[in-house]
Amino acid sequence: MGRRGFLRLCGGAAALSLGCLQPSKPSGPRGGLEAFIEGVSAGDAETLNWILAADAASLGYVSFTMDGLATYDNQLRLQLRWLREPVEISRDGLEYTVPLREDLRWTDGNPVRAEDFVYTMEHLMFAPWLRYTYAGDWMEEVDGAQRFVEPRVVDKNTFAIIRERASPEFLYTVMGLLVYPEHIAKRYEGDAEAFTRAEELNNLSYTGNLGPYRFVEWIRNDKFAVERNPDYYLGREDGAPYFDRYVVKLFGSPAARHAALEAGDIAYTSVDPPKVGQLMANKAIRIYTVPTNGFLLLDFNQRNGWAGLRLREVRQAISMAIGKELLINSVLLGFGEPAFSFIPKVSPLHVDEGLERYGVGALYDKSRAREVLRSAGYAGVRLRIVTNSGNKTRENVAFLVKQELSEIGVEVEIKLVPWPTLLRKYLMNKTPGSDQPPRFNNGPGAVSEEPWDLLVIGYTTDPKQPSGTEIFFATDGGLNSSGYSNGKVDGLFKRLRSPEALDEGRRRELYAELSRELSVDLPVDFLAFQYANLGFQARVKGVEPGISTTYNYQWWRFEG
Amino acid sequence: MSMREYVVRRLVYSAVIAWGVLTATFLLLRLGPSSPADRYLANVAARGQNVTQVLAAIEARYGLDKPLHVQYLDYLNNLVHGDWGWSFSTSMPVMDLLQRHWVYSFQLILLSMLFAMVLGIFLGLYSAVRHNTRADYAATFLSFVGISLPNFWLGIMLILIFSVKLGWFKTYYDTSLPMFSLANLKALVLPVMTLGTGMMAAYTRYTRSATLENLRMDYVRTARAKGLPERQVLWRHVFRNSLLPIVTIIMFDLGSVVFGGAYLTEVIFGVPGLGQISFNAIFADDYAVVVAVTLIGAIVVLAFNLLTDVAYTILDPRIRYD
Repeated sequence: MGRRGFLRLCGGAAALSLGCLQPSKPSGPRGGLEAFIEGVSAGDAETLNWILAADAASLGYVSFTMDGLATYDNQLRLQLRWLREPVEISRDGLEYTVPLREDLRWTDGNPVRAEDFVYTMEHLMFAPWLRYTYAGDWMEEVDGAQRFVEPRVVDKNTFAIIRERASPEFLYTVMGLLVYPEHIAKRYEGDAEAFTRAEELNNLSYTGNLGPYRFVEWIRNDKFAVERNPDYYLGREDGAPYFDRYVVKLFGSPAARHAALEAGDIAYTSVDPPKVGQLMANKAIRIYTVPTNGFLLLDFNQRNGWAGLRLREVRQAISMAIGKELLINSVLLGFGEPAFSFIPKVSPLHVDEGLERYGVGALYDKSRAREVLRSAGYAGVRLRIVTNSGNKTRENVAFLVKQELSEIGVEVEIKLVPWPTLLRKYLMNKTPGSDQPPRFNNGPGAVSEEPWDLLVIGYTTDPKQPSGTEIFFATDGGLNSSGYSNGKVDGLFKRLRSPEALDEGRRRELYAELSRELSVDLPVDFLAFQYANLGFQARVKGVEPGISTTYNYQWWRFEG
Repeated sequence: MSMREYVVRRLVYSAVIAWGVLTATFLLLRLGPSSPADRYLANVAARGQNVTQVLAAIEARYGLDKPLHVQYLDYLNNLVHGDWGWSFSTSMPVMDLLQRHWVYSFQLILLSMLFAMVLGIFLGLYSAVRHNTRADYAATFLSFVGISLPNFWLGIMLILIFSVKLGWFKTYYDTSLPMFSLANLKALVLPVMTLGTGMMAAYTRYTRSATLENLRMDYVRTARAKGLPERQVLWRHVFRNSLLPIVTIIMFDLGSVVFGGAYLTEVIFGVPGLGQISFNAIFADDYAVVVAVTLIGAIVVLAFNLLTDVAYTILDPRIRYD
């Protein structure tokens, strides 16, 4: 996931329970205004008409011109943006009151009203004619039927969202809300094709003072450029933002991107581990190593994989044979830390106590692993490990796993396949003989088209709302392609979505219990949380490195 | 058969071939196992939504749920009326997309071809005339090196040497520069060298061997015996006859490099040309873009083939159309 995608997906936090509300602001720019160029190698965005977007890059581009309701700093504390004050949640967790700033304006000078938000939800996001991809985020199950939550105007700058059933982490969905001006979007209402092609919606000409920058141009597969917004609602006091332009420049290869940073042609980019040492020696460049919410894992196929993988002790034995420190040092070149569960350490919901630490210390023991396999009746096992080709990190992990498992008598065949093939032939499944359309989880009897035993892949966990990871580990999780099932885990995920988890302390306890259970039962071998390396020109100031490094990018500046 | 009749006949054949290419590309893409909605798969599933329903909804949004023959006829009908479709991976009309990006490919290819032709033909001639001398060996060595260097490696090396170490050029192509400016020309130096070096090396070899072959011909001996100056022998007789096979190769190169051949160079230097556009469209199953690019590519290749054949008659009057 891109960094802006992460910001967008982060959405919001339990505002009342989180402390610091003041963003970090410098006194103002000392150097002259100039363009800031960020280099990226990920794919280009699909659209700037945000409601049609399904990818992180599109929402990332849009976020330059529209801040959103709030964001989070590196300590995951709430930072208000369009919000006048934090969202208020009723005691029963059913009503969310969203107060907006009064100085938000569309480009034509009209004020941004609560009606615009309610219109966007009711007439666009929830409307069948437009088919909003993520409409499901705004639905709840009531009496066995799926229905949308109910948005309601409270006054001209306040709206409320009413649920029928409490959902402790729904707040983060609310925080991800964006908006269209009702008076413009109405022209296209009911006509999906016209809406898709509407010029003002595709060139973000309506965004007024809602973000630090205004859209300038988007050359596909080349660059996305925005210019300083002099009317920016957060820039009145200190003149932010401090760059004349912000350009996202796409590079086809990491090597070209690294060279551009080294030559001073770009101000910021992510740096691959092998280049970190070389660039750190360059005084004009500053490298920040920051935690991420992504982790590498080894998945066990419990559908049509080797039967032994359905046994907890076998999964534990395999995990006991794969050294996590070794993997971090040899594959990630030191840029990571061992994972034992799915919640990253930066999350306030991470609990270390009681986790079983397979793959390190006493639980990195190949003799014991071999013994466990032998006593379970498994000797001379041959397994097939699969991962997507082109991802060097995952390929190297697969080779390391092969090497480690060979030492406990397990022979591993590596299969590298393109990403679309991995999705369709290995991860999607269906019950044999049925007319089910293939899905990632078609129930307990479903199997993939191609057999596999082990899979190297990466997942992400939102540190503020880790329960989203339910999709991988709950029996009916939408991305539980390995067929893992554990009643206790299902129950804990259910409780985390129930009113019981409205209490912050109780929520933390439930996550601790869930983390412990997963660290023992090992639906997957949690391998390592990865770090990211962010390379900046040294004259870029105001950067606060962390899990959410870009949260204050409006106040970055050049000095010197 | 007159040249006009010949050209008209070739144009008719070309139209049929272009239609065939369009139809085959359209059908292959739409009959393939993947769908343009596939890129939504993981995101949709990650939100616990019904993948099948959502994907069906997305396909309906773009008209992909209609029967194949209806989609095909709709596409043809729109095409006839100048509408090349909507690119859903870039959110803009296909023709606008191609119009904005062809120029980046065109300038890169044009300059690379010029670079390769001028240098390659000159070196090949020089090498042949100085047959078995040190100059010939040096040119032969250089051309083998040029042929052997992969584009992606050469491009990165040029960036590291001339941009990072020496700081003479920017590390990437800057689309904000005015098209007709020295700055733009400077920005194209490294991409042109990257794309043109391999072709230049090949033209050197072809020119050398064609020239050597002609130098041994009787008509050259006759010309020399008649007392013609060596320069006139070379340029008026040998060079003109040697050009025939070289023109064929250059035209073939031009056709193939326009759509795809420049892709790696475009990727390395961040040139947003048609190579990048078409490759990304293939991976995104953006069939409207793929069909358009393939069709235009086919037309360009057909046109160059026709031009090549016409050029033969100009270069060698003995060649006839029947």
